[in-house]
Amino acid sequence: MTDIKETINGLTQELRRGTIIIGVLSQLSEPQYGYSLVTILEQKGINIDPGTLYPLLRRLEKQELLESKWDTNEARPRKYYLLSPKGKEAYEQLCREWKSMVVSLDSLIQGGNDNGAG
Amino acid sequence: MELVKRYIYAVTQRLPERQRADIEKELQGLIEDMLEDRVQGGAATSEDVEAVLLELGNPRELAEKYRGTKRYLISPELFTTYLSVLKIVLLSVGIAMTVTFLIETIINPVQILEHFVSNLVSLLMGCFQAFAWVTIIFGLVEYAGVKKENLGIMTSDRWKPSELAPLPDQRNRIKRSDPIAGILFTVLFLVLFTFSIDLFGVWRFQSNSPTIAPFFNEEVFSGFLPFIWAVFGLSVLKDTMKLIAGRWTIKLIGFDILVNAAHFILALIMFSNLTIWNPDFMLQLAAAGLTPEGSEAFQTVSRIWDRSTAGLIYIIGLIVAIQILILVEKAFRISRGR
Repeated sequence: MTDIKETINGLTQELRRGTIIIGVLSQLSEPQYGYSLVTILEQKGINIDPGTLYPLLRRLEKQELLESKWDTNEARPRKYYLLSPKGKEAYEQLCREWKSMVVSLDSLIQGGNDNGAG
Repeated sequence: MELVKRYIYAVTQRLPERQRADIEKELQGLIEDMLEDRVQGGAATSEDVEAVLLELGNPRELAEKYRGTKRYLISPELFTTYLSVLKIVLLSVGIAMTVTFLIETIINPVQILEHFVSNLVSLLMGCFQAFAWVTIIFGLVEYAGVKKENLGIMTSDRWKPSELAPLPDQRNRIKRSDPIAGILFTVLFLVLFTFSIDLFGVWRFQSNSPTIAPFFNEEVFSGFLPFIWAVFGLSVLKDTMKLIAGRWTIKLIGFDILVNAAHFILALIMFSNLTIWNPDFMLQLAAAGLTPEGSEAFQTVSRIWDRSTAGLIYIIGLIVAIQILILVEKAFRISRGR
């Protein structure tokens, strides 16, 4: 039965992958560096490993959703990321999408319970 | 800390040069942060370092995530075509070499063993050359395809149903046999030009070993070989693209016209250089006993020879012009068909 567990694991990961971007964007109206973002997200129950987050931040910057700046005043230099105006717009749009998705899926899941499994 | 440096190096070495410094600094900071978080003010042991690096995962995968795309010399989409072209080319090299071997054996049956050995060596060399060139050409196609996916080979992200390729229409469909034959002949001539240019000539079979009066001056001709290789390489590239696309597109026709023009320019340069012809052709012909010097036949052939060396370029020009005309007509039909 490990097979089905693996399949479920894969599906869960797939499901999470899309939501991570919303999570990341949501925390970047204030400048954050990569690892601080990992910590913040972890505290709020979103687990993301740095090996995924760092390349993602770079990609979002390349897509002009984020702006970055090196801060060299601290003990170690850190690259801070912040939402760009475009990023703000994208984030708001994504939030709307997410909310409507939640509503639709909720109704689907409950509807399913009424007719099928439930 | 040496381990950390090695890890960072293993990642950045796989990344484009201009991103390296930035990512290096970033990873350095990240690993220090992670270590600090882990030991909470204590001193980091080598186990801690290892644990952190394990958490970050395989440097190859991390670099892949940074790059966003996997890198190929020849991508899976092209690989099947690559294999079939490679097979065709290797096969034609084999056939060409065998033909050369047979001809050499007919000319000089006594030295059959020597021919066999030298043919085997040439076969090996030829196969290596063929492999390298096919791979280089596909590498270039891949590179161009990645740069801009508009070779008509790969589909771009945005497409309209109206852009769907028309069902194989008899008129603009490219039969597979056409480019395959093209590649076969190109390779055959390439091999003959490279290794046995002296076989192009007038053959005279006497008793058991034939003599040949070659058309070309071998030394001058071989000086042109690099150009011949380049132009014939273009030809193989064109046939490969035809094989992949399977139908004529305007771009493919444009490229075909270019390749034709390249052939013509090469021929023009080669044959306008009169030293390329064998200066002793008439004498060798006479020596072979075909046209004894001073005979009427000698005079006639001599006239034809002089004229044809000058006239060949016009004949080639005519052939190329006809081919280009056919291609242009094809292009018109395609653009009107849309």
